[in-house]
Order: sequence, then C-alpha cells, then structure tokens
Amino acid sequence: MTTKRGRTAWVLAALAPALFLLALLIGRYGIRIDETFRALFAPESVSDVIRALILRVRLPRALAAVCIGANLAVTGAAFQGLFRNPLVDSRILGVSSGAAFGAALALLVSAGTIGLQASSFAFALLAVGLVCLIGLRFGSAALILVVGGILVSALFNALLGLIKYVADPLSSLPAITYWLLGGLSDVRWATIGPLLALTGFGLVFFLVVRWRLNVLTLSESEATALGVRIRGFRTTVILVGTLLIASSVAVGGIIGWVGLVVPHVARAWVGPDHGRLIPVSIGLGAVTVLALDTIARTALPSEIPLGILTGLVGVPAFFLLFLRFLRVRGEAR
Amino acid sequence: MRSRRFPELAVSLCLVLAASWLIGAAEAVTVVDQTGRTVTISGSVERIASIYGLGTYFFYALGVQDRLVAGGYVGVKSVAQASEAMLRFEPRLEELLVFGDPNVEELIARGAQLLLVDGSRHAGFAEQMTELGIPVLQYLVETGDSMKEALRLTGRALGGNATARAEAFIADHERVLETVAADLSNLQDEDRVRVLFVGTSPLRVSSGEMYQTELIDAAGGTSVSAELFGYWNDVNLEQVLLWNPDVILIPPYGPIQPRDLLEDPDWQAIRAVRDGRVYRMPRLIAPMDTPVPESLLGVVWMASVLYPDLISLDLAEEAARFYATYYDFALTEDDIALLIAP
Repeated sequence: MTTKRGRTAWVLAALAPALFLLALLIGRYGIRIDETFRALFAPESVSDVIRALILRVRLPRALAAVCIGANLAVTGAAFQGLFRNPLVDSRILGVSSGAAFGAALALLVSAGTIGLQASSFAFALLAVGLVCLIGLRFGSAALILVVGGILVSALFNALLGLIKYVADPLSSLPAITYWLLGGLSDVRWATIGPLLALTGFGLVFFLVVRWRLNVLTLSESEATALGVRIRGFRTTVILVGTLLIASSVAVGGIIGWVGLVVPHVARAWVGPDHGRLIPVSIGLGAVTVLALDTIARTALPSEIPLGILTGLVGVPAFFLLFLRFLRVRGEAR
Repeated sequence: MRSRRFPELAVSLCLVLAASWLIGAAEAVTVVDQTGRTVTISGSVERIASIYGLGTYFFYALGVQDRLVAGGYVGVKSVAQASEAMLRFEPRLEELLVFGDPNVEELIARGAQLLLVDGSRHAGFAEQMTELGIPVLQYLVETGDSMKEALRLTGRALGGNATARAEAFIADHERVLETVAADLSNLQDEDRVRVLFVGTSPLRVSSGEMYQTELIDAAGGTSVSAELFGYWNDVNLEQVLLWNPDVILIPPYGPIQPRDLLEDPDWQAIRAVRDGRVYRMPRLIAPMDTPVPESLLGVVWMASVLYPDLISLDLAEEAARFYATYYDFALTEDDIALLIAP
C-alpha cells in the first residue's frame, strides 16, 4: 500500500511539469517545438509574435491555471476536514457569491480588468467577513458558519440577480454571464501578480500545517481533551483558504467542481491523512485545471468557458467516486 | 531646351517628394476610441477583425469587408442559423464567424492587424491584444449619435475611401431624419402615434433609455414605456392596458409574431390589437432596432408603419439604395418583399 501511495506522488510530480510544458507547446497558433523552447530560453532568437505568444499569453495563462487548480483543491480538502463534511467545497462560506457580485458590479460600470479583480476580491472577503461576524456573535460552531454561509450566499445571489436585471442585454449581461462560467482568456502578467503571491504564501502555509489539519477533523471537545486549542487555528485556516479562493476567483471567475471532486480523488488515492492529502490535492488540482484550460483554449476557434469543462468532467468523476463509496459501505446493488 | 526642361523636372521632383511625404504621414494614424484610449495604427491595415457583433457592420458600411479575417455578427451563433440572405450578403461567413469569447491565438493566427471590440464587454481582452501590439478600437455604442461617431472613428482609423464613406453615411442618415421630420411637421403632439415596443416576450418592453425609443421618436411616434429605466423591463398586462398603445412593435428577433398578440383573448382590450396594428420588424441582415447602419432603414420602416399616408420616403427604394451603396449588396425581389411586408 505504501509503495502504491509513494508511486502516486511520483507520478504526479513527473506529470505536472510535463503537462506544463505540453500546455506551452500547443495552441491555436501553430508554433514549432524548437521555437517554443527557444522562446523560453533564448527569446531573442524567435520572431516577436512567437515570443509574445509563448511568454505573454501561454506562460502566464498556464501559471494562472496551475495556481487556481491548486488553490481550489487545497482549500476544498482543508474545508472538507474543517467542517467535517465531505460535500463541502471552497464556496461554503459565500466566497464565490461575493466574488460574483463584485465582478458583476465592476462589469456593469465597465471598471476594466484591474477594477474587476479588485471588486471581486473585495466582495469575496466581505462575504466571508459577514459569515465570520455571524460566527463571532453566535458562536463559531461549524453549523453556525455553514448556515451563515448559506445566508450570505443567498444575499449576494439576490444582489447578483438585481445587477443582471439592470444590465445591458447586448454587452454587460453577456459579459457577466461569461464571467460566471469561468475562464482564463483575459490573463496577462499584469493581472496575475496578486494571485501568484497569495498562492505562494497560501500553499506554503497549508504544506507547513498539513499534519495539524488532522486535528480540525475532531470536534472541539475532543480536541480540548487532547490539549489542543483549535479555535484560533481554525480561523487562520479559514482566512488563508479565503485569500486563496478570492484571488483565484478574481482571475478565473467561477470554476466549480474542482474544489469538491479533486480532494475526493486524492483521498481515494492516498487516504484521509492530511499529511499526504494536502500535497496530492495541490498537484492533482493544478494538473486538472491546467489540462482543462489547455482544452478550453485550443479545441475551438472561440474560447470554451472553463467552468463548463470542469462541470462536464467533475460530475461523472464525483458520481464514480460516490458509487465506489457505496460499494465500500456495501450499500450498492 | 535645357533651360525649359529644368523647371519641369524640379516641379515633378517636388511633387514626388510631397507625395511620398504625404504617404509617409498617412502611415501612422492616431485616433481616440470611445473609451477615451488613444490608439495608434501604423502602416496600411490589410487584415481586420471585429468581435463586436454590431461593429462588424461598420466595416461593411465603410466598404472594407474584404479585409475581414474574423467577425462576430449580432444574433448569429452559427452558420446553420444564418438566413439565406445573410449567406448571400457574406459568402465567407463560415470562415469569418466567431461567437462567444474570442481566442487570442486564433486572432493572431489569422493575422488580424486591427481589432474592433465592445468596450463594455471585452475590455480585458482588448487590454491583452493591445499588450501584444495589435491596435484595438473599443466602442460604446448606445445611441444614433454614438453610432455615427463610431463610424467616423473607424473611417479615420482605416483612412482612404473609408473616411469619405463614413461622412456619406452620416449625411444620408441626417437626410432621412430630416425628411421624416419635414413630412410630419404639421402633426400635433396629441396626434402622434403611441407605440409600445415589446421584446422577446409580449410583456417585456423597451425602456426610455434604449435605442428603440430613439427610433420611435425619430419616426414621429411616442413610446408609451419611455418612463422606464434600464433595458428590457418586465411589466404586467394591467400596465399595458393602462398605456393602451395605438401600435405594438415587435423586434426582428425572438419568438413573438403579431398573430400571437392579435389572437390572444387577453390582449383584445388593447387598442393596437383591436385595430390590428401589431407589426414585427423585418430583418434582412442585422436587426434594425440596434445601433447598426441598417437602423437608418429602421426609421424609414417605422415611420411608414406609423404614418403610411404622410411619409414621402419609399421603403423599397431606400432599402435598395442603402444595401447597394453601403453594403455593396443587391437586393432580390424576395428581399424587398420581405422588407415591405405589412
């Protein structure tokens, strides 16, 4: 069993860089393999167009895909443990609804890419802040946070509906609709700085504390009995997770299913121990979103919204995992 | 002999120098687009693309459609969905048509040298293409005036004959508006036809801020729903009864046909339905109720529908002239029949 798990990690570690390279090699614009490498390592030796496409279109986009995939998956894994609920994903605390409202607001007033990101990020934090306020006032038991998350999500969904209702059906309404479907077509170096920085910080945090995350799966009284104070740690995990998700959504829009399904696939591979689950979730999330985004930008002349692809892959994957779970429990016929 | 030839030579040399200076000066054009960004276009632009479904038609009106390498066409999602007239209008539609969010590499692979986008929808994409060195014109077209400004701007960016064609269209547009206004100059305010412009469902109506209201005003009517804000507004039948419009107009897209309202028992109390004055706008190429050059015909059509006895412009004649002049497109008998159908 240990060797199999060890092999999984190695396969993932080898697959990720290979896929990253592949993502740089393919695109709608035909670029030869040697030209791609020269653009990367000797940029002066290729034409301006090829250099720009590799270094300023494909590279930042692939990096953004890797970061977003890793962030959604790691936060999903951590939150599933924290809320002791396998059906939880990163959206549980209203972060996506807040981000969606913020983005729609920015699109309505044509605030530009930076404005859109700032607004989406700010409202994502505001949404989670409201949930935490509810927790602070009424006790931060998991149930209260979950209900708070549902209420705050519903509030921002209603406000999003209001914005869509007043949006121009020929321009801002389709812009909002496409944003909600998720996608990385607008990614540039200038727009992914905060994402890269927060991802670096957040992933290091989760890798460092990954063993301690196991404690969060205990109830508060159990943890106290073991002599561990979990409340402060839980708040920190929620805060860092929120930063990761908010920065991801601000760049890529709403990309569903990754945060729910990837941790389950990882758990099926390496078991529930967060010490192994966290790194495998990070790698698997990064690889999944990178692969799907490469399809999104190469399959058709127009972009395929990324959220549609993650849904199309995520739903059957989740169903298969669920069948496996039932079989293990002996409930499947 | 010699002394006579020298001045000729000098003059022609000067002319050649002046001409080459002019060409050199014409090589870099700077325009300010509708979002206030300064865009520099250097050299002659041989390959253009528009991912702005309304703006693509500006290129046709300016006579540069042969240079298109990619285009969005409002309301056309696929070639299969395009009308027969649309395919005659643009035989290359299958090659050109882009729908949804554009792909950077695809547009670069097609060699686009100038790109036209909707500033309120694809601002992020515009920033990305600009960074890659491809000039992007961003448009914010919501009114007749901003449409004319957009055409003028596009004409300046393209140079050559396009500048003159933009001015010719603008003059023509003004001629139509002035003719309609002159034809209706004796009309009292209380005699103006009261119009309800519905959308893709009978109880979805246009607001006062929409281009449809501007067209109704230009055609001499009054929009009963002009007091509403924003875009399409959902209303209830009581409100429609309260407005009690003389005429109901249906846009050239969406599922509603006049008989849906004329045969609906709930709508019989409304004057327009009782009088049988419910009309669906015809559509040949682009929808004429949107700010595209064809909306010039939208005004003629609407004025003819509202005041058949007062309007001196002939829709068939105006349409044939419009499509021939601006879209280099010859109408068939069927096309004209479709446009002037009651």
